[in-house]
Amino acid sequence: MTLETTGLSKAFGGVTALDGASVSFHQGEVNALIGPNGSGKTTYFNCVTGMIKPDGGTVSYQGRDLTGKAPHRIARAGIGRTFQLCRTFPRMTALENVLSAVPPTGLIGGLRSARGRAEIERAMGWLTRLGIEHLAGSEARDLSWGQQKLLELAGVLMAEPETVLLDEPAGGVNPALLDRIGVLIRELNAEGRTFVIVEHNMDLVMSISDHIVVFDRGRPIAEGPPSQIRTDERVLGAYLGV
Amino acid sequence: MPSGSKVLKLAAVALLAVAVLAFPSIAPNPYILSAGVLVVYYAVLATSWNFVGGFTGYISLGHGALAGLGAYSTGILVAKAGLPPFLALAAAGAFVGLLAVPIGLAALRVRGASFVIVSISLVLILLLVFQSWSSVTGGSRGLVVPRPFQLTRPEHHRIFYFLFAGLLALAVLAWWLIDRSRFGLGLKSIREDEDKAEALGTATYAYKLIVFVVSAVFTALAGGLYALWFGDLDPVFQFSILTGSYLVLMALLGGVRQLFGPVVGALIVGIALEFFKVEYGDTPLHLVATGLLLALVVLFMPDGVLPAIADLIKRFGRSDRTSIREVSAAELREQRLQNAGGTK
Repeated sequence: MTLETTGLSKAFGGVTALDGASVSFHQGEVNALIGPNGSGKTTYFNCVTGMIKPDGGTVSYQGRDLTGKAPHRIARAGIGRTFQLCRTFPRMTALENVLSAVPPTGLIGGLRSARGRAEIERAMGWLTRLGIEHLAGSEARDLSWGQQKLLELAGVLMAEPETVLLDEPAGGVNPALLDRIGVLIRELNAEGRTFVIVEHNMDLVMSISDHIVVFDRGRPIAEGPPSQIRTDERVLGAYLGV
Repeated sequence: MPSGSKVLKLAAVALLAVAVLAFPSIAPNPYILSAGVLVVYYAVLATSWNFVGGFTGYISLGHGALAGLGAYSTGILVAKAGLPPFLALAAAGAFVGLLAVPIGLAALRVRGASFVIVSISLVLILLLVFQSWSSVTGGSRGLVVPRPFQLTRPEHHRIFYFLFAGLLALAVLAWWLIDRSRFGLGLKSIREDEDKAEALGTATYAYKLIVFVVSAVFTALAGGLYALWFGDLDPVFQFSILTGSYLVLMALLGGVRQLFGPVVGALIVGIALEFFKVEYGDTPLHLVATGLLLALVVLFMPDGVLPAIADLIKRFGRSDRTSIREVSAAELREQRLQNAGGTK
C-alpha cells in the first residue's frame, strides 16, 4: 500500500483545479507528476498534504485515511514536502532551520534544549550531505536561491519521511546543481525513500523517474515508465496541442 | 569555557538585577518609588506580552484586557468573597489561564491584521461588560480593593516593588526557558512561516494556544498584583486599548527577540510616560509623543534598541569577524592567484 488518491476534486470559485483525480503512486520508486501549467499538480500536492481541503475524494497512505487531516498530522505520518517557491525560515540560521523539522511531542520533550547534541549531529549530517554545512551559522535569508533549495530539502529530510514530495526541485537552479539534485534524489531513493516529483524539466524527469503520471485539466490522462510516456499521443497532445 | 560575549551578557544581567534591587533604597521620595513600581509593573506586562508577540509574531493589542481580568478577578475575590489577598491573586491567575483557552481558540484562528482587530475587540467587549455589570464589578464607580498590609505609604510601595520584581524574574526565567527549548524553536518557526512550520510537522495551533495561555497567566498575575497595590479599579483604565499599545511599543522598542528587550523598553517608555504626565499634566501630549516614538522605532530600529546597540558594539569591536560573502570573495581571489601561478 502506498500514497493513493481516489476521485480527488477541488474547485476555486468556478475554476476546477482537480477533477476527480485517482492516482496510485509506486512505493519505493521515483514517481514524477507532470503536466502543462494549470493542470492541477500543485493543487494536488496541497490536497494530499492537507494544506487545502479537497471538495471531494479521498487521500490514503499505507492504508490510513488522511483525507482532510491537518498538515502536521500528515507530515508525522511520514510524508514530507518542499514548496514550489522554496520556503525556509528566513531569520533563522541554516542549522536552526533543519533542527525545527523535528518538533517535539509532550511537555518534557518540548522543554528540552533545542540544541541537543544528537539532534545537532543529525542536522549537521544532512547539511553536510547536501554540501551546505559551511553555511550552518548563516541566516537562511543570506543564502542564494540554490542554497535555500538545498536547505529546504535538508529540513524535510531531517524529519525522516518515508515519502518525499518535491514541488519543482529544478526550478531556478543552475545546471551543475541540477545534476547534483538528480543524483541526490536517486541516492535517497536507493536508501528506501519514495519520491513524488512535480517538475517541468523533462530531461530531469526522464532521467530519474521510474514511473510518470501525466495530469491534464485536473486529472491523470496517462501513466507509465518514461519510455512509454515519451511516445504517448495523449501526452503529446496535452503538451503540444496536436 | 564561557566566551567573552557570554561573560559580558552575564555581567549586564547581574548589573541590571543589582540596579533593580537597589532602586527602592536610593529613590529620593515616595513618588519616585511609586513611579518605579509602575515601571516594573509595565516590565512584567511587556515581558508577558512578548511570550506571544516575540515568539509567534502575533501582535496583540488586547493584553490590557487580560491584565484587567486579572485585576478585577483578584479585586472581586478579595472585596466580595473575602479571600486572603494572595490566595485571591493565585486563583485569579488560574482563572484567567482557563479563560484564555476559549479566547485563544477563537482569536488564534486568524493571523496578521485580523488577529490585531480581534485582540482589540476583546478589550472593547470586556470594557462594556465590566461597566454594565455593576452589581459585581462596581461598574463605572469602580471597585475598591482592600490593602493586604497595614503599612505606611512608602513601605507599601516598597513591598510591592519587590513583589513585582519577583514576578518579573519569574516571567523572564520562563521566557528564557522557552527561548532555548525545542518548543520555543517551534514557536519561532511559526513566526517565520506558519504554513511551512505546519508542513514540517509542528502542531501550530496547539503551540500558539499553549504560549497564549502562559502569556495570559503572567499578564493576569501582574494585573492582580496591580489591583492589590493600587487598591482602586476603574473599567475605563483597566480595559483600555492604550495599555496594550504601550506594551507593543515597549516590546518593539527594546527588541522582541531579546530576553530583556521588553524590560528595557518598559524602562524607557515607562519613565517617558511619567515624565510627560508630570510636565504636561492631563493634556494628550503624552499620547502624541508615544505615537511619534512608535513610528520612529518601526522606521529606524525595527529590531529594537538592544540589537541596535549590539550592532554598534560589533562595529567598534570588529576584528577577524567578517561576513560570509567577504570570506568567499577572499577565497576566490586566492584561488585565482593560485590558478594563475599554476598556469605560468
